[in-house]
Amino acid sequence: MLHAVRSAEIDLPAFPPPARTALPEALRARVRSAREIGRRREREPLPTGVPALDRLLEGGLPRGELVEVLGARSSGRLSLVLDVLAAATAAGESAALVDLGDHLDPSQAAAAGCDLARLLWVRPQKVEHALAAVEMLLGAGFQLVVVDLGLPPVRGGRGIEAGWLRLARAADAQGAALLVSAPYRASGTAAAAVLELDRGPVHWLRSGSALLGGLGGFLTLEKRRGGATGRHAGISWRTAESPLAPPLPEPCGEGVDFDLRARASA
Amino acid sequence: MIPPLGLETAMPRLACLAVPLFPLAARLRSEPELTREALAILEGNGQAARVVASTRAARAAGVRPGLSLPQARALCPKLAVRTRDGTCERAAQEALLEIADGFSPRVEDAGDGVAYIDLGSLDRRYPGAAGEVSLGRDLAQAGEARSLPVRVGIASSKLAARVAAGLPGSPVIVPAGEEALFLAPLPLARLAPHLEISGTLERWGLSSIGDFARLAPAEVASRLGRTGSDLHAIARGLDARPLVPREPPPSFEEGMSLEWPLASLEPFLFVGRAALERLCRRLEGAGLACLRLELDLGLEPEGHLRRAIDLPAPTRDAKTLLALLRLDLEAHPPGAPVVGFLVRAHPDRPREAQLSLLGPAALSPDRLATTLARLFALLGAERVGSPSPVDRHRPEASALVAFAPPPPPDVRPAPHGGRGLLGVRVLRPPLSIEVLTGGDRPAAETPLEVRPVLRDDGERRPEIRGSVRVASGPWALEDGWWTDDPADREYWDVELAGGGVYRLFRDRRTGDWFADGIYD
Repeated sequence: MLHAVRSAEIDLPAFPPPARTALPEALRARVRSAREIGRRREREPLPTGVPALDRLLEGGLPRGELVEVLGARSSGRLSLVLDVLAAATAAGESAALVDLGDHLDPSQAAAAGCDLARLLWVRPQKVEHALAAVEMLLGAGFQLVVVDLGLPPVRGGRGIEAGWLRLARAADAQGAALLVSAPYRASGTAAAAVLELDRGPVHWLRSGSALLGGLGGFLTLEKRRGGATGRHAGISWRTAESPLAPPLPEPCGEGVDFDLRARASA
Repeated sequence: MIPPLGLETAMPRLACLAVPLFPLAARLRSEPELTREALAILEGNGQAARVVASTRAARAAGVRPGLSLPQARALCPKLAVRTRDGTCERAAQEALLEIADGFSPRVEDAGDGVAYIDLGSLDRRYPGAAGEVSLGRDLAQAGEARSLPVRVGIASSKLAARVAAGLPGSPVIVPAGEEALFLAPLPLARLAPHLEISGTLERWGLSSIGDFARLAPAEVASRLGRTGSDLHAIARGLDARPLVPREPPPSFEEGMSLEWPLASLEPFLFVGRAALERLCRRLEGAGLACLRLELDLGLEPEGHLRRAIDLPAPTRDAKTLLALLRLDLEAHPPGAPVVGFLVRAHPDRPREAQLSLLGPAALSPDRLATTLARLFALLGAERVGSPSPVDRHRPEASALVAFAPPPPPDVRPAPHGGRGLLGVRVLRPPLSIEVLTGGDRPAAETPLEVRPVLRDDGERRPEIRGSVRVASGPWALEDGWWTDDPADREYWDVELAGGGVYRLFRDRRTGDWFADGIYD
């Protein structure tokens, strides 16, 4: 005859204290109990090094999602890309830049803080090749892949939307951050977030002859899957020669937030 | 009674791997679609060509070794015919040896589909008689995985192992010390088929190896000398021939002679893909990857084309290698029909990386190597790599170096902000424009007009047009004055009224204006 044994009747020893607490702090966050293994892994966003962008995206580029940044000429789109790459490579991640327009200046990337040894520069000549290259790079395990579609007219058009959806799925499968920098909407519904960079004022230093000091821009969150949209923040970039180093502290913490009222008058 | 020598316990155990009908098996390994067809392998030229092996379907129709081609065709009109192919057989022999290498470091290449393995180091993994049976099955399975029908014989002498490998019911195990009994009923021709001594023994009235083994060793030595003495020992199961380990080859090869010349790329790539897949399987079995791929094409009516492809990192991805091969042949067509080919892989150890527990994840070297090779195939080597600054003043100058990222840090560093520097989109090549100036020396307040210079080359370029709102400059740039392509430029930063800040320059030698960057 079988007797059901109630757990209360068993003299169980006291449950041992969680061993996690004995671990160093850096290790503690990475250790999961057996119960937690089946849960979907929390994906920490990838900090971009651009405070305004991190604020709008709530911590950085979401891993496993496609984020598209739109911007016209001189909106600061390339500078933003360089800062994102610099932040990732400085953190020890390998990153890839798919540069459709072949616009990168390696010396500027190094000056922006990119660890060039960790940066793979891919220079396709057609948008189809760019999409194929991105899929390969995501499959290789790059945690950050940036696609810069260059200037209009984009070589080969916007690419088919199915291709972008495929890339978004690949990024999700790999848990990688995929950033698309485009002059106009290209990725369609595949983008989990869309930000638009509007051109801001140009800073000219007028000490004798004019000297370019920097550019300003306005970053607006146009789309966020599952989140609020319409938020915006100011952003600025300075030239290396500019004596206007302040108010951008080293390393650049909080960027200059322009008075948004200036946007209307600009 | 065969006199014992008392040395049986000192004889090492050997396994013999033998591929029956080796010329046929090697051919079917390269053309597996012919396995169920009536196929005969011929050796010799013209009328002297004779069948040396045939498939089951051909044998069922009566095609036997020794028949001429007309005789074989008379028996089987639909008989497919291939000639013996040294390239195929070399590759199959290497594949057989690599199977053996997977089990023991001491392997002898006996040629023509035969290899010997020293089992001295395998007695722990395959202990006892049951272990030898298990080993024989594992060897046969490894052969099947490489498309080679391997038969296995295990004994303490080479001859006994070779004979056992030729018997049905593989694996055949000859217990230690029973080699003489095993060999005794065999005809003398099996002992030394290439020596005249077997004829002498037959004239003595001996018909089997057992008859020969029963003779007194001293009498045999006095009448037949050293050769006879050695054969006598072998007949008694005491094979004194040592196992001669082979040196692993420096490269891996696959190829075949084609039955008809191939004049276009696609059919060649079809057969080349199968060869590359076999090559990659062999590399994987050896724990290696391809760092350099060489292609040797035999051309009709004569001549060769040799191409070499250096890979950015070792890979064993057949699709990648095929894509690289396709691009190389499209760029360098052979110019004549192809009648045979050989692909040779120079191996290297796949890159390995130590995973980090706390730091960022490192890229898998194997996947990275494959990805880089595929990107090379897609875009070309000059379009993939790590950016590298060039020690020149021209903004458009850049260089690429091989992408080999250092290992990630052990602990992920704390994130920090970017430097906020303004970047410039470099326009490569510089965009030719027309600048209308208000005077000899344009100043910021001088009204300027920037217009694109239209070119009728079919490519759409970014357009720069508008009146100048602010101009800053000039800054002189002189670079490479000692070369054939000097640069003598006068740079301006201009903001156009319609928006956009551009970096323009005037070539001081020609007076032409260009835009080479957009502040962005």
